[in-house]
Amino acid sequence: MKIVNLKVNGVGKAFIAKPETTLLLALREQLGLTGAKRGCAQGACGSCTVLLDGEPVVSCLVPAVTVDGSDVATVEGLADGDKLSHVQQAFLDGFATQCGFCTPGMIMSAEALLDRNPNPTRDEVAEAISGNVCRCTGYEPIISAVLDAAERARL
Amino acid sequence: MLTEVHVPEDVPAAVSLVAAGATIIGGGTSLMPRLNDYASPPTELVSLRRAGLAGVHVDGDTVTIGAMTTLAQIEHDPRLALLHPVVRSIASVPVRTLATVGGNLFARQPHGDLTVALVALNARATLAGRSESELPLTEAGLVTAITAKIPKKGAFRYLKAARRRYNSASLVTVAATIHDESGEVTIALGGVSDRVVRAHAAEAVLSGRPLTEETVHAAAEAELAHLTPADDAYASAWYRKRVFPVHLRRALLGR
Repeated sequence: MKIVNLKVNGVGKAFIAKPETTLLLALREQLGLTGAKRGCAQGACGSCTVLLDGEPVVSCLVPAVTVDGSDVATVEGLADGDKLSHVQQAFLDGFATQCGFCTPGMIMSAEALLDRNPNPTRDEVAEAISGNVCRCTGYEPIISAVLDAAERARL
Repeated sequence: MLTEVHVPEDVPAAVSLVAAGATIIGGGTSLMPRLNDYASPPTELVSLRRAGLAGVHVDGDTVTIGAMTTLAQIEHDPRLALLHPVVRSIASVPVRTLATVGGNLFARQPHGDLTVALVALNARATLAGRSESELPLTEAGLVTAITAKIPKKGAFRYLKAARRRYNSASLVTVAATIHDESGEVTIALGGVSDRVVRAHAAEAVLSGRPLTEETVHAAAEAELAHLTPADDAYASAWYRKRVFPVHLRRALLGR
């Protein structure tokens, strides 16, 4: 057992981690942030995607004790009060979500893409979300929503 | 299940933990999926995340990449443009942020495409407490860095055949360096064995001969007898052998 300190969505947090506590498990079960989902626990589905020091990671593969002192951003930290981020609002307006299980991971992958590349092509969006599995939408509305979010950010 | 995860701050501390029986974890993208079920055997890990092994150093045409450098860091380093198509063919963005160069050397086939490229570049691995080793590695050890010479423009070829354009393991991966001066070609293959292999038989056929449809076809035929691909969810062994000559030709001739 070790005490792990993280800055989560800008707020300092401390928790006790067992060796098998992954970053995902810590977020969900110790910090009460259930946006990131446990899908495959293999790094294959992307539903647990969060930003670790600004970069997207599959948090199910990260032992929490290895990232002590890091910055973590989750879907819960994107909205400013009632005002959703451009990506969130575009997903909502564009019906880019059905069951919603993949949505937090999709949105964090999209946020990471737009941070690095504010004007992505459709193909670049497809590559950016290639690690996020959606079994409902067929991806097209999601790709359109990410492009829409990029457009909104430019206005 | 995990019994302990050590996060040493330097290589000597990591080496002694490994000597005491701990398993090395780099980015964890190969290891953690196997440990993430509660039925895995008790395992003690030593994470190299804080051991000071990340970073890229370029000196002329020689590049040294720290073992804990991630595939994402390679992807965004303009000095490593040669390797950009390689890393972008591997897994997905949130996996590449974690996956490391050192870890790729130990990835199980049909993964490990960066290693295919590094073998074709005749890269060497530096292991803690030992002299440099050729790739692919034949024994376990704590890799601290890999070193490779960047060939001149156009000399390096890389082709990965996969089920999808992004985020799929290899069906057949071909990487090659064409040495114009000596007339030699260095060829490495993924997806065709239980580890990354040098295509020595194909190289021998091509040695000192021009790269044409005929010579490359003969090289592929010579290599086929040495391929031992697996049947897996991505492709059958039969299919991998069937398409190997096509992908060797496309990699070397571009058509």
